[in-house]
Amino acid sequence: MPFVPNPELGNRIITLMAALVLVLQIAAVGQRWIVSSIRIFAVQSFLLGAIAAVIAYFNHASHIYIAALLTVFLKAGLLPRLLERLVEKIGIRREIEPLINVPLSILIAGGLTLLGYVVAESFYRPEETSARAALGHNTLAVAIALFLIGFFAMVNRRKALTQVLGLLSLENGLFLAAISLTYGVPLVVELGILFDVLVAVMVLGILVFRIRETFDSMDVSKLRKLRE
Amino acid sequence: MILLWLLIVPLIAGPLAFFLRRRLMMEVVNLAAFAILLGLAAALVAQVLRSDSVSLWNGFFYADALSALVVLLSAFVALVCSIYAVGYFRHEERSGVLQEAEEVGGRFGVHKLREYYTLTPLFVFSMILVALANNLGILWVAIEGTTLASVFLVMFYGRETSLEAAWKYAIIGGVGLSMALFGTILTYYSAYGALGTDTLAGLNWSVLAGNAAHFDKPTMRLAFILILLGYGTKAGIAPMHTWKPDAYSEAPIPGAAMLATGVLNCALYGLVRFYILSSKCLGPQFSSHLLIIFGLLSIGVAVPFILVQKNFRRLLAYSSIDHSGIMVLALGFGGPLGILGMLLHMTFHSVTKPLLFFCAGNVQQHLKTDLFQKAKGGLIHSMPLTGAAFLMVTLAVTGSPPFSFFQSEFTILRAAFSGGYFVLAFFFVSFLVLIFSGFLVHIANLVLGEDPGLPRAEMCGWKKYSVVGLAVVIVVMGFWIPAPLFGLIQSAVGIVVGG
Repeated sequence: MPFVPNPELGNRIITLMAALVLVLQIAAVGQRWIVSSIRIFAVQSFLLGAIAAVIAYFNHASHIYIAALLTVFLKAGLLPRLLERLVEKIGIRREIEPLINVPLSILIAGGLTLLGYVVAESFYRPEETSARAALGHNTLAVAIALFLIGFFAMVNRRKALTQVLGLLSLENGLFLAAISLTYGVPLVVELGILFDVLVAVMVLGILVFRIRETFDSMDVSKLRKLRE
Repeated sequence: MILLWLLIVPLIAGPLAFFLRRRLMMEVVNLAAFAILLGLAAALVAQVLRSDSVSLWNGFFYADALSALVVLLSAFVALVCSIYAVGYFRHEERSGVLQEAEEVGGRFGVHKLREYYTLTPLFVFSMILVALANNLGILWVAIEGTTLASVFLVMFYGRETSLEAAWKYAIIGGVGLSMALFGTILTYYSAYGALGTDTLAGLNWSVLAGNAAHFDKPTMRLAFILILLGYGTKAGIAPMHTWKPDAYSEAPIPGAAMLATGVLNCALYGLVRFYILSSKCLGPQFSSHLLIIFGLLSIGVAVPFILVQKNFRRLLAYSSIDHSGIMVLALGFGGPLGILGMLLHMTFHSVTKPLLFFCAGNVQQHLKTDLFQKAKGGLIHSMPLTGAAFLMVTLAVTGSPPFSFFQSEFTILRAAFSGGYFVLAFFFVSFLVLIFSGFLVHIANLVLGEDPGLPRAEMCGWKKYSVVGLAVVIVVMGFWIPAPLFGLIQSAVGIVVGG
């Protein structure tokens, strides 16, 4: 192809997609229906895979393609499918009221984004004007924001399944950080991490199912027998 | 080659047990696998003592004295626990607890036992992989693997409380480990400029350790904080310790003993690897202060809970929080003395803690309760062997003089004084004294006193000999450490201090 990759263009595409990922994360905070939370997670994971593919294309780093493919296949395809089947099996579709109401939650998510930028700023070294440093500047902030908002979502939600989703989006933040800072961790590590995430979702899925069976509810605030 | 065998043996033993039908066969496979594993671990130690490090597959697997020590301790704990497990589960089967657990879980037959004998080798496999992985990313994957394999151990009995404990364990562990992963990625990033490679070797510890002085300092600082929080959660350091009492009191005894020793060693091992990198990059000062704060906090948090504890299984968990605090504190004091104290403590802890769990397990199986209040004391009359061992191991675990913990804690105290931390040493000693008195009062009340007229407990050989055998090892270790073991610990100290 006569098309010459222009790193500047690549950066813009990546920044745009990272922004979309962030918007989705904030939207997930305000979401009441569990199935739509799962779909938001799927779209977010797909975008992350796309970001990885763009980085691979503009930097001729072929090993990132594999990570991108695996991310799309596992996190945008397989995991959401598994989670949706779990939702059908236990028959709970709606999240009960989160601890903090939706408008305030979204405001907090916005504040956490700001915090992400503040933290990421301390890594930014303007003397390094390479494309990568500039790329890291924006996406790292988004990654840290994803991490913090995922953490907040876990604290804020009381359903076992939404806590699992929070943990997964937290992991998405880590993937974005790895891919934007260092063009991904070595492939074998990436494989190991994906395998662990897959097994973790299965383990947590079984646990959610057992909790639902035993307590007749998925509300983790009912898990309060073990106290000093 | 030996590195590969260390991983293959437990990896085969787990799935093999899955396909076996009879209890006896599962027990034989489990015991044989762990006995072979201990032999291999001893061979690895011999090899490491001869030639400083062993590596395989272009440095993908790598073992030096520090990893060999952790492998040896993991294999020892695995074997001891599997010997006890035979007696423990036979007793559970006889008394009908397993059937109950199966009904709650909706499964029948020997499934529960198969679950245990399949998962523990996989659990041990992850522990060995933690020690042998050179790549810090693989190290993380393996530590996460220990969590995933052990969640099922925590929910083994399928009670409401077990599910709650397992949920807490999985979620708190998951969040903690995601922080550790972030820290690992940031370490990779801080090394990126210095190494300039994006091949596999970029995350290899043996490569990183040589270049740590040139890492990007602000990034490394944040990375170490995240690693400390992450692996600290796994080691059960306050304030991330809340999963520990629940998980330890719900898991079956042999599983809980492995959690309390093996997983703790793995988490601390990960922490030590990053501590070495961070000291080389930032100087020891930065990590020291953080470690001292978290270590002392953990010991302090354990004190009130030990003093007023009503449940003897939770008491063991708080004792474990106390011990992980001591080890982190020792790492914080640093210097050859501090590190020596820490590694000695780790060794003694791995030998002593299982016996404490076994005694508690025997008492629980006999009385069918884990509350002090319902136990009424006088256990020495109905179970003389367990009672005596329980008292002895209590003295050992709280650091009384004839036993080995006294040596390690004294070494740590010397490290504190030589580092000039006089006030901290005062707090350290007073916490230890409080824990000693609280622990001893609880266990003495349980074991000594008038005969409440309980029937004498029956103990099968498996339970009896695992208790007696470990007790002998503990007493001997109070006076004599085998020279090769001490040599191994000393060269591990050399790696941490000087590298």
